[in-house]
Amino acid sequence: MSIVCLGIEGTAHSFGAGLVSSKGEVLSNVWDMFSPEEGGIHPREASRHHSDLGPKIIGEAIEKAGVTFENVDLIAFSRGPGLGPCLRTTATVARTLALKLSIPLIGVNHCVAHIEIGCLESRFEDPVTVYVSGGNTQVIAYAGRRFRTFGETLDIAIGNMLDTFGREAGMRFPAGPRIEIEAKQGRNYHTLPYSVKGMDLSYSGMLTAAKRLHSEGIPLNDVCFSVQETAFGMLAEISERAIAHTKKKELLLTGGVARNNRLTEILRGVAKRHDAKFHRVTPSLAGDQGAMIAWTGILQYQVGDVIEVAESQVLPKWRTDDQDILWRGE
Amino acid sequence: MIDEPWTLGAESVIYKIERWGQILLLKQRPKKPYLLQAIDAQLRQSRTSRECKMLNVARGLGIPTPAVHWVDRSSFTIAMDYIEGTRLRELVQDVPPKTLEKLCVRLGRLVGLLHMGDVVHGDPTTSNVIVDRIGKMWLIDFGLAEMNATTEMKGVDLHLMKRAFETTHWDIQNEMLDAALTGYKQTLGENANSIIVRMEEIRERGRYH
Repeated sequence: MSIVCLGIEGTAHSFGAGLVSSKGEVLSNVWDMFSPEEGGIHPREASRHHSDLGPKIIGEAIEKAGVTFENVDLIAFSRGPGLGPCLRTTATVARTLALKLSIPLIGVNHCVAHIEIGCLESRFEDPVTVYVSGGNTQVIAYAGRRFRTFGETLDIAIGNMLDTFGREAGMRFPAGPRIEIEAKQGRNYHTLPYSVKGMDLSYSGMLTAAKRLHSEGIPLNDVCFSVQETAFGMLAEISERAIAHTKKKELLLTGGVARNNRLTEILRGVAKRHDAKFHRVTPSLAGDQGAMIAWTGILQYQVGDVIEVAESQVLPKWRTDDQDILWRGE
Repeated sequence: MIDEPWTLGAESVIYKIERWGQILLLKQRPKKPYLLQAIDAQLRQSRTSRECKMLNVARGLGIPTPAVHWVDRSSFTIAMDYIEGTRLRELVQDVPPKTLEKLCVRLGRLVGLLHMGDVVHGDPTTSNVIVDRIGKMWLIDFGLAEMNATTEMKGVDLHLMKRAFETTHWDIQNEMLDAALTGYKQTLGENANSIIVRMEEIRERGRYH
């Protein structure tokens, strides 16, 4: 008998609700991204967005799935990591539903959820995952009952770097797609600081240098081209180090920045060099959304990993490798 | 002369050859077609020169490293001594806890010697440490090493070592780190403290708070 989980995601700029069955069918996946007219994301404004739009988004997810609340067997929510105010708003919605419907509540790690929905879609069993978004830049692989972070940014996330540069260049949040369009027109490469340390990397130096190039009047498309090539080249290198180190044969690209076609092309090349399969998660499942929370909720529920409402406080700094992954083998 | 690659690394291909009656390693940094040509060429060039130089610099600081015999800058290849031994990464599973502790203390001392000379290794994982037949410990793979290292750079270096213990030797990571830091402090004395504090700070950065 198939069960249905309602997953609620709200760690940062987006609020999403998705329904997934235990057979792995995504029944619905509805979300809305908070995009201010100008400037970046203020945590309080984003949480206001979530509380204003949350109920409507959940209602739509239920409707699109063609079910009623009575058909929902589980509630899963993004417990962390993320922005405190956003997490608390999301958790409040999830707790209320779980209590009202008298069904189990499951706290899901946002990063783990990105990996699991990617594995569901790609049918990968044990990939090296490159998770790139506004708030995260991590190279993760499973080892010894945990998803372990083999490499990550030492300062700012790749999406944050792109957004901050874009804001400087007068682009709206999120700036990544616009930068990609500009970069396609760029021809001249300007050297930017390339900073890889072991399997970690750093973007703050190149951000400063890119802003300077822009302020010196270098054509925007050339700066965007140089930013992409440098930032993605660094990411390729740490991904390659992780593959060489773990000897895994699958490479999964996910997160909001996975939409970038140039990044995809580069990582496909990395996978090929190491005889690894490559998969880029579809944009609708790669960004922050509820289906990934719902699917991971089902995996956790199947091994009894549920929480009481009283113990469901949010975990803004929850590390990827802090959770025992009970549903995967040795 | 050159047969099959001996190993395929993240950024290099390594061949084993025989020359002058001894075995040498050829470490070649091949082209990566998926990178922008300008970036790839620059990296291959700088990493090759850097590795060649830093192997020598490290040896001058008292760290056993393979000797470089020649460099071919046109093919981004370094010929160096082949160190016959076992990587620390593999030894970790095979040796008794007391021996592992001693090995990690020695690793910490070697990293300490580098840092005392204001050099960072750049990739201090257990794959880059070899213990030879007579029990001597060697450090290899200096392509990411840097001179004139600041406290921040040394802190990052320790962070990378800790990260390697965490991802690859998770069940005994704490014992290994404690032993390595013991050795590190033996070499650096009080100067070790600010760098260890920095290591902890670095771990907390880059996260979504």
